[in-house]
Amino acid sequence: MTTLRAFTFNFDICYNNYGIPFYLQYLAHWPEYFIVAEAPGGELMGYIMGKAEGSVAREEWHGHVTALSVAPEFRRLGLAAKLMEMLEEISERKGGFFVDLFVRVSNQVAVNMYKQLGYSVYRTVIEYYSASNGEPDEDAYDMRKALSRDTERKSIIPIPHPVRPEDIE
Amino acid sequence: MAARGHVQDPNDRRLRPIYDYLDNGNNKMAIQQADKLLKKHKDLHCAKVLKAIGLQRTGKQDEAFSLAQEVATLEPTDDNSLQALTILYREMHRPELVTKLYEAAVKKVPLSEEYHSHLFMAYARVGEYKKMQQAGMALYKTVPKNPYYFWSVMSLVMQAISAQDEKLAQTMFLPLAERMVEKMVKEEKIEAEAEVQLYFMILERLGKYVEALDMVRGPLGEKLTSELQSRENKCMMMYQRLQLWPECNALSYKLLLKNPDEWQFYLSYFDSLFHLMDKSWSPPNEEEHCVEGPVHTTVAEAVKFVVDRMEEEDKKDSRPLRGPYMACLELIHRLRQRGCPDEEELGDPLELMLQFFGKFGDKPCCITDLKIYLHLLPPEQHTQFENRLGELVPLGEVGEDGFGFPGDTKALQRHLCVCQLSRVLGLQHTLDTEGKLCLITELKAHYHYGLQFGKSCLKTELQFSDTYCLMVAHVYIDLWTETGDENMLWQCLGVLEEGLSYSPSNAQFKLLLLLLFCRLGAFQPVVDLYSSLDAKHVQHDTIGYLLTRYAGSLGQFAAASQSYNFSLRFFHSNQKDTSEYIIQAYKYGAFEKIPEFIAFRTRLNQSLHFAQVRTERMLLDLYTEADITSSLEESVKAMGLCPEEDDIPWDNMRDNRDLTVLFSWDPKDRELTEEHRRLSLEEESVWLKVRSLTLRLLASLALLGHAPSKRNSDKTNENGVSAKSSTLQTLLSQLDLTLQTAAQITEKQTQYPFLGPPSSRLASALSSGSCHCQASALQLSLTLQELETTGLGKMSDVDFCTTGLQPSVHLQKQQDWGGECKGDVLEMKDSRLMTQPSLLETLVFFVETVCVVLWVASYSASVLRPLKSSLQKKKKKKTKDSSTPVVLSGFQEWTGSLQGIVTQALDHVKGQEASLTALKLAALTLGVGHAQTQECGFTRAAMDKVQTSYLGSLQELGDLLRKRADSLKSLKF
Repeated sequence: MTTLRAFTFNFDICYNNYGIPFYLQYLAHWPEYFIVAEAPGGELMGYIMGKAEGSVAREEWHGHVTALSVAPEFRRLGLAAKLMEMLEEISERKGGFFVDLFVRVSNQVAVNMYKQLGYSVYRTVIEYYSASNGEPDEDAYDMRKALSRDTERKSIIPIPHPVRPEDIE
Repeated sequence: MAARGHVQDPNDRRLRPIYDYLDNGNNKMAIQQADKLLKKHKDLHCAKVLKAIGLQRTGKQDEAFSLAQEVATLEPTDDNSLQALTILYREMHRPELVTKLYEAAVKKVPLSEEYHSHLFMAYARVGEYKKMQQAGMALYKTVPKNPYYFWSVMSLVMQAISAQDEKLAQTMFLPLAERMVEKMVKEEKIEAEAEVQLYFMILERLGKYVEALDMVRGPLGEKLTSELQSRENKCMMMYQRLQLWPECNALSYKLLLKNPDEWQFYLSYFDSLFHLMDKSWSPPNEEEHCVEGPVHTTVAEAVKFVVDRMEEEDKKDSRPLRGPYMACLELIHRLRQRGCPDEEELGDPLELMLQFFGKFGDKPCCITDLKIYLHLLPPEQHTQFENRLGELVPLGEVGEDGFGFPGDTKALQRHLCVCQLSRVLGLQHTLDTEGKLCLITELKAHYHYGLQFGKSCLKTELQFSDTYCLMVAHVYIDLWTETGDENMLWQCLGVLEEGLSYSPSNAQFKLLLLLLFCRLGAFQPVVDLYSSLDAKHVQHDTIGYLLTRYAGSLGQFAAASQSYNFSLRFFHSNQKDTSEYIIQAYKYGAFEKIPEFIAFRTRLNQSLHFAQVRTERMLLDLYTEADITSSLEESVKAMGLCPEEDDIPWDNMRDNRDLTVLFSWDPKDRELTEEHRRLSLEEESVWLKVRSLTLRLLASLALLGHAPSKRNSDKTNENGVSAKSSTLQTLLSQLDLTLQTAAQITEKQTQYPFLGPPSSRLASALSSGSCHCQASALQLSLTLQELETTGLGKMSDVDFCTTGLQPSVHLQKQQDWGGECKGDVLEMKDSRLMTQPSLLETLVFFVETVCVVLWVASYSASVLRPLKSSLQKKKKKKTKDSSTPVVLSGFQEWTGSLQGIVTQALDHVKGQEASLTALKLAALTLGVGHAQTQECGFTRAAMDKVQTSYLGSLQELGDLLRKRADSLKSLKF
């Protein structure tokens, strides 16, 4: 059980990984896409953060998952699925064609979870994640799920060849 | 800057290379190129500004500024110059100048949408809400676009929020904002969701909840679509404000049917139910209870509702939700609070909790959930509960050591949950020493056994059995605090170090190690631990205190300086960060976020911890550098310290410390209370006041030294001097008052939970005598200063000696600790290691006091020197009265005794160092018999860290004392 609420910009952000400007940028632009889950004792369970972007004319208007995070003690409760469902619902309302996200190729747990939630690999982005802590650059999967507006599910037809980060919008 | 539109303009083409140089960080070339261009085109103002940017970036701020002002006074209206100046002013941290720039531009080009909009944003950057309101309106009149109109409205709301006088907000700003929106509503000009949001904000702040509710339910409310359940949430909020309990109840019920896991709606459902019962409310007609649908008004209905929800979950094939089961416990809790007997219908809490454990015991959150309702169990049931829980944990066969272990991670998690619950229930605390040691053995066995499940874990992942390790540490801490047996503490450090070796990302291990090392007075290992926590932005404010509380107090000056920097870097970047995003929020119409951003910024600016690190950082720099690398006066000036200025928001101080960051499974009666929080803040604030006053007094002293010592000089000088001495006087009496308050506070001897806030340095500062010694030394400087202005001649009439000696008497007293305790900071007794970290802390206070007294002595010398030289002249002239005045001999006597004290202290430090180096920890026998050598290794490593750290502290303290002793020599005439 969870209390789901809009992210109010306060010390919630203590638990997160990005710099303050990053959060401020999203909150100033897409506040509705920022949802936190709180436990009955007031503990922060997790949050999702996203945005809407892309050209409507080219049928590329879509919701994007920027960050999804669940605290270790609140995992395996279906919270991530719930938060994803909410982000998809918001994107539906905005008339998006699909929802997409990037995930490390090595993060098999996450890739499988997204697959279970209806996402499929649309393309591979070469060296999307830059090196840190001595680890090499890493590729990302760009995963997508079609929304109801994309009746023919054109947006998720996979691109066979990997692309470079500079080639994606 | 590089992205520039039209290349056609010849000026753009000419400026291009300068932009490129600046973008590439080649400031020198940018300046040269600008100079070249200016030779040919004197009136190309933008080139001047670009040159100024280059100058600014190469550290020539003054030159840059005057060049920029040359252009600014011309009130430029070309885009290039305006943008470049905006960038420059921002880099100079002078955003207010941007407003002047665009004010002029708008006057000259009144129809420019762009300049009007820049002006609005420039005001936003400096928070000039009234001018924003006007600028927004002017913009709307130029270009009638809705967002501009609402920028103006929002600026009115901001005036209301920031108004000191709430009445002004309620009677002027908000009503005006409301009327402005109403006008648009009437004219049917409302377009965007953001506009409706803003309207709602205004009505809510005005307390016009009925109107707000009507608006949300009406056609305007249909625009509220972005956020999920936006209308429902807003209605619920208004129902609660208006105490419309039937609607509140019916809406909660509806939403819970849709999503039986939404905790907040259970709470509003129960709240409203009991309100309705208290009012004996009954529906006006049977058909329709209220606009939101059916209303529950009896406990029976609520019980049925909750039971139904649980049954639904039981029937499901998929993973059950926790909500309904927790709601059941919540309802029992509420019924019991009301003394309502119907709780039995829901079942026995013990059985319900066992049922909950059966369903969710393998989830790590089970403990957090059940913890909330443990009070529903009477104490006599606790052991029974623990036993029954144990029956639900599948463990393998009992082995040689008497323990059975879980077969998989789910079973492990269940077992862990039982251990945690047993601790929360206080069952571990009631064990005797023997029992606790047995418990440690059991938990350790489980810990080591569980490591096998995490063999494939990545470095960034936690081990499944980490929590066992942490619990072992907690039991060791219990034993240490109860028995005083330091061996328990060493074991504790060992087990945590071991845990960290298997699970290098475990923040809880690091935090607890950090805390323990600090309590032991060993600061050296702490900085690395904190760095490895990889604390991010706000965390430097929320958990930075763990580090900075001990940073200055343990004689590790370099490490202390590093620690303060972690926090200061974050605080300084915050101010800049926020204002850009406030502007963005205006642009995108995220009006609700603007007050949040501002409140956040304020909260950081008013942070207790921020004020502490700011103050401590400057004190540290003075203690370690002033009169060593540069004079006290230069140091004070370099810091921009002004004794008259107090920049600490005493009345609005925000305690942002996260005092429960360390996990604890202590029972309720041992938990951190609100009273603890209050007392800790009080104590920290008073200590901060002592420190900040000391700092300002030192600044004051430094500037006294600067005062011209000639008497009968012109009036302005005399006024200046007396102003300075009156500052000194005021600060001294404030310090005196603060020390009195401090004494009252320390009398309380507040004890905080071990994992709660550390005590401040206040108590030890007072008991060491250092505060009073520093105060009387500073008092001496005031006396001297007054005598100097009245005339040195009269000084010999005054009993300067006793006044002057007072500080050194104190010093001596303070230094006695060396003789009294006769102990070492680290000792081996009967093959046990003993620490006395308080010795280190006292030594640091002593060194700080030496610094202060020597600065006063140095000031005294500067006052007395003219007297001495006039005396020498007299001697040469062989006048009659050639005996040394009492004042000079008194001073010499004083500096002589100071010299003695410092030398003595240095000997003491040397002695401590020697005995510490002689201590061979390898000689210690750790553990008994078959004691696991690996575990001993970790304990020994922890001991080594402490020893090395103590040695480092003594060396740094010794070094500083030696430097201070050198400066004493120069005080002799």
